Amino acid sequence: MTHQTINKTACILAAIIALGLPLVIRSATYLHILVLLYFYAYLTTSWNLVGGFAGVLPLGHAAFVGIGAYASTVLFLQYGISPWIGMIVGGILATIVGILIGLPTFKMRGAYFALATIAFAEGIRVMIENIDRLGPFVLNGPRGLQIPPLNLGLGNFLFAGKEPYYYIILFMLAAVLMLTYSISRSKLGYYLNAGGEEPEAAMALGVNVARAKLIAMAISSFLTALAGTFYAQFTLYIHPKSVVSLDLSFEIAFIALIGGRGSIAGPVLGALLLRPVSDFSRIYFGDTLPGLHLVIFGVVLILVMIYQPRGLQEPLTRLYDQLVDRLLRRKAGEVQA
Amino acid sequence: MNILEIKELSKDFGGLRALNNLSLTIEQGQIFGLIGPNGAGKSTAFNCIAGVYAPSAGNIFFNGHRINGEKPWNLCRKGIARTFQIVKPFATKSVLYNVMVGSFAKTGNRSLAEEKAMEVLEYLQFVKQKDMRAGNLTIADRKRLEIARALATEPKLLLLDEVMAGLRPSEVDDMVEIIKKLRNRGITIFVIEHIMRAIMALSDFVVVLHFGQKIAEGTPRQVASDEKVIKAYLGDEYVVSGS
Repeated sequence: MTHQTINKTACILAAIIALGLPLVIRSATYLHILVLLYFYAYLTTSWNLVGGFAGVLPLGHAAFVGIGAYASTVLFLQYGISPWIGMIVGGILATIVGILIGLPTFKMRGAYFALATIAFAEGIRVMIENIDRLGPFVLNGPRGLQIPPLNLGLGNFLFAGKEPYYYIILFMLAAVLMLTYSISRSKLGYYLNAGGEEPEAAMALGVNVARAKLIAMAISSFLTALAGTFYAQFTLYIHPKSVVSLDLSFEIAFIALIGGRGSIAGPVLGALLLRPVSDFSRIYFGDTLPGLHLVIFGVVLILVMIYQPRGLQEPLTRLYDQLVDRLLRRKAGEVQA
Repeated sequence: MNILEIKELSKDFGGLRALNNLSLTIEQGQIFGLIGPNGAGKSTAFNCIAGVYAPSAGNIFFNGHRINGEKPWNLCRKGIARTFQIVKPFATKSVLYNVMVGSFAKTGNRSLAEEKAMEVLEYLQFVKQKDMRAGNLTIADRKRLEIARALATEPKLLLLDEVMAGLRPSEVDDMVEIIKKLRNRGITIFVIEHIMRAIMALSDFVVVLHFGQKIAEGTPRQVASDEKVIKAYLGDEYVVSGS
C-alpha cells in the first residue's frame, strides 16, 4: 500500500458516506443544512480558481450567483425554458460579465482589486433592485421572483423532497473539485500560481499573467452562475438581497480564507467548519442575537489569520499525512514480522 | 551571426536619462559582459531587452528582428530568458514546481514539462533539492534556481543579472563553471556582474557603462587597464598614481 492508494481509498470512502447520508438523515432541516453546506463548498471552490490560484481577492462573486439565478428563473417563468438550459445561458452570461470585470481590474493589485470587484457587484445589485422590466424580461426589482412549485420533475429542476437537490449539488461539487484538481496540475494552474506569487518572474518565464487570470475568471464566473440556478430552484424564491448581496460575496471569501486559499481541500474544509456554525447560531440565537454567526466568523477569521495564515487546511493536511505515514509504517512492520 | 544588436538605445525615467545612446552587438555563442558602477544603467538595459520597459529611443534586434516594446512572455517564447538581480522564486512552491513553470513555455503537456525540468535539474546538479520549498533555499541555490528556471524555457540568449552577487568565493567558482558549461551547450550569454574575477575569467568581450553611457569596450584585459574605467570605479586620483 502506498500513500496514493490510501488517498484514493479515503476519497472513495468520503464519496460513499456522502452518497449514503440521506438514507440515514431523514430530517428535512438537517438535509437542508447539508445542501447549503455543499452549495457553499461549491461556490468557494469555484471562487478559489481566481481567489486562490491566481492570488487575488475577488469580493464580488455574488454578482455571478445572481446572474445565474435570474437568467434561468426569468427564462423558466416567462418562456417555460427548462432551468437546465437556463443554467447554461446564465453561465455564459456570467462568463461575459466576468471577463468584462476582469479586463480592467486585473491590472490592479491587492486591496484595489478587491474594492473594484465589490463596486462592480454592488452596481449589479443596485441595478437589479431598481429594474422592474429589462426590455421583455420581468425582474420585479426588490420584490424578486418566485418559482411556483408546479409541474415537478427532473426536466423542470423541481422536486418535492430535498434528496434530489442533495444529489444534484453533491454531483456538482464533486465535478468542480475534480475540475480544480486537474487545473491545478495543468499548465494553466502552474501559470496562475506563478503569476499570483511573483508576476514579474512569471512573465520573464513566458507566462502571460493577465491572460491566465482572465481564463481563470471566465471559468470561475461560469461555474459560480451554475450554482445560482441551483439556488433559485432549491429555494424557489430569489431577490437581489439573497443572491446578489455583499454578505454572500463575503461569506465565500471567509470560507476560503479560513479553510485555506489556493488548496483543493481548503474550501471544502472551510464550508464544513463554518456552515454548521452559521446555521446553528441562526437556529438557536436567531431571535435573540441575529447576526451572531457573522461575529463568530469574524472572531474565527482573526484567530486563523494570526495562527494559521495559510488556512486550516495546512495543519489538517499535515495531521492527515502523519496518520497515513504511521499507518504505512505499521503495515510495513507487520510484513517484516 | 549577430544574435543581439542594440542601436542607439535610450531610456528615460521622467527627467532622468538612465540609458544614453547605447549600441552593442553580441555574436552567437559569445559570453558578453556588461559592467559598471552602481546606477550605471546595466539592469535598465536588461529590462529593455527583456521587454519589461519599452525603450524611449533606439532599436533592439534579436536574430535580425526588431523586438522593441514586445511583451516579456513573447520574448521568452522567442528565446530570450533572464534571471533577476533580486531573486524572485515562487517561494511557497517546490524547486521542481519552479522549474516546471519555465518548461511549460515550450510545451502544454505536464509530463513533458516535468521531464524537461528534471533534465535541467540534473544538468545543474540540483536534483537532490527538487522537493525543497524554494523559500527555504540558500542564496547560492536560489541563484541557481533562477538559472534553472530560465534554462527550462530553452533560451537562445540568456541574460544573467548579477548571479554571483552575495556568493562565497568557492560558490563563485562553481557558478563560473556552470556558465561556461551553458555556453558550450550553444547558449549565448549576456552577463551583468560586479565580481571582477568572474567577469575576467568568463567574458569574451566587455562593455563598461557609466551614468548610462558606454565609456569603454573590448576584451576584459583591455577594459581593465582603460583609464576611464578606473576613473569611473575608483575616482580621479587613482588614475594619476596608476599611470
